[in-house]
Amino acid sequence: MADDNPRPADQPGRFEEIYDEHVVPIYRFIHARVGNRPDAEDLTAQVFMRAVEQLDTTREPGQIASWLYRVSQNAIADYWRAFYRLPVIGTEQVAPGWEPAEPNAARERPSDGEPSTARVKSLLARLPERYRIVLELRFLQRLSVAETAQRMGVSHGNAKILQYRALRRAALLGDADD
Amino acid sequence: MTDRPEHDPQPDAQADPGAPERFERYVDALLAGGRPSPDDIAGRDEAEMARLAAEMSAAVDPDAGPDPAFLEQLRARMRDADRGIAAAREPLPLRPATGGDRGVIRLSRRQLLQGGLIGAAGIAAGALGASVLRPTEPGRDPIWSDGTALISGEGEWVQVASTGDLPEGSALRFSTAAFDGYVVNDAGEIRALSSVCTHMGCTLRWRSGWKDFRCPCHGASFDLKGQLANGRSRWRQTGGYANDERAYPIELPDLIRPAVKVDGERILVWTAKQA
Repeated sequence: MADDNPRPADQPGRFEEIYDEHVVPIYRFIHARVGNRPDAEDLTAQVFMRAVEQLDTTREPGQIASWLYRVSQNAIADYWRAFYRLPVIGTEQVAPGWEPAEPNAARERPSDGEPSTARVKSLLARLPERYRIVLELRFLQRLSVAETAQRMGVSHGNAKILQYRALRRAALLGDADD
Repeated sequence: MTDRPEHDPQPDAQADPGAPERFERYVDALLAGGRPSPDDIAGRDEAEMARLAAEMSAAVDPDAGPDPAFLEQLRARMRDADRGIAAAREPLPLRPATGGDRGVIRLSRRQLLQGGLIGAAGIAAGALGASVLRPTEPGRDPIWSDGTALISGEGEWVQVASTGDLPEGSALRFSTAAFDGYVVNDAGEIRALSSVCTHMGCTLRWRSGWKDFRCPCHGASFDLKGQLANGRSRWRQTGGYANDERAYPIELPDLIRPAVKVDGERILVWTAKQA
């Protein structure tokens, strides 16, 4: 009888070694791309649940790592797909073909959040000053909208609009990079 | 990135004056360390903005390392699942029976995992009772070819409730040596469902008011068929769920459904015998 088990000859306990070696970098990889703890924990658990089920633990260490990152990348892409669903405007056809926006292999495997940090810094540096400031206050200094408005001398509502436009401009810049 | 729609060179907010306010809800949840919702995001451009905001938030988050408690919890789950699979494969190799007189069953890793392998005791037995072990019909090949491991096991029908106690639209908790679950009466159809959430393995609670099984950990709700009731796709069809504020963010497999039969007044569930 053909055995289609993808883990034909693994030793008990081997999986835990793999978990110990990879869980923190995988978590950081995911967190750097979803930006919040609850979702990062969920996706990390998904990746390792799939690994218990499907990963052939007898593979080369390098293959195991790339398998884990590939599954993580898919999980992240699925996560963002939900955000690309367009309930109002009806450009739903965009979503199915959507791929992760970072096809660049150099960015695929950070051991921490650093590549994202570099990308963010370079984007910020290229924004008009007021756009850069509003994003720095909100995201780097983590000020509230009210505090941001006060620092910038604008109304509460205008701070939100400024933030919105700044992110929109930065997203377009980031898009042009890809 | 390809096939972008043309961008309006004028900014945004003219098209939807409420957009900055709505988008701020996403940013707010993100910066507060919560779980932001796609419901606050409208359109592809905003999705790109949300991704950038998430990356920015993560890039400077001083607290970006995983929570040690989370790592320990996940490690325990992984270990149990891995051992459960190893244990289920222990009796290998069994030759396929030809007479059909013994329950020899192929069990896939997926089935094992969906059985909710939490806790050290009775892992293999729990998975069996939850889904896979069913009486072998005499004269038929007892090998199920949809799985990957051969195991032997013995099961039995156990009475878990009486029909008189289970009116339509109700559910009763039961517990056998091998696993826990609910029997439900869904418009006259009696069904048994595992009480293990297919997300992280938490124990579901019956909510008679909503006629669903609710997960106390992350708020998944399962209906009387054992299917996720408050996921995004269902949410879009129904426009909401119970008094939830937002849809459950990911799709989940159905709950395990053990075999069930009604014999007169007695409701019986097929479960593994305790080893």
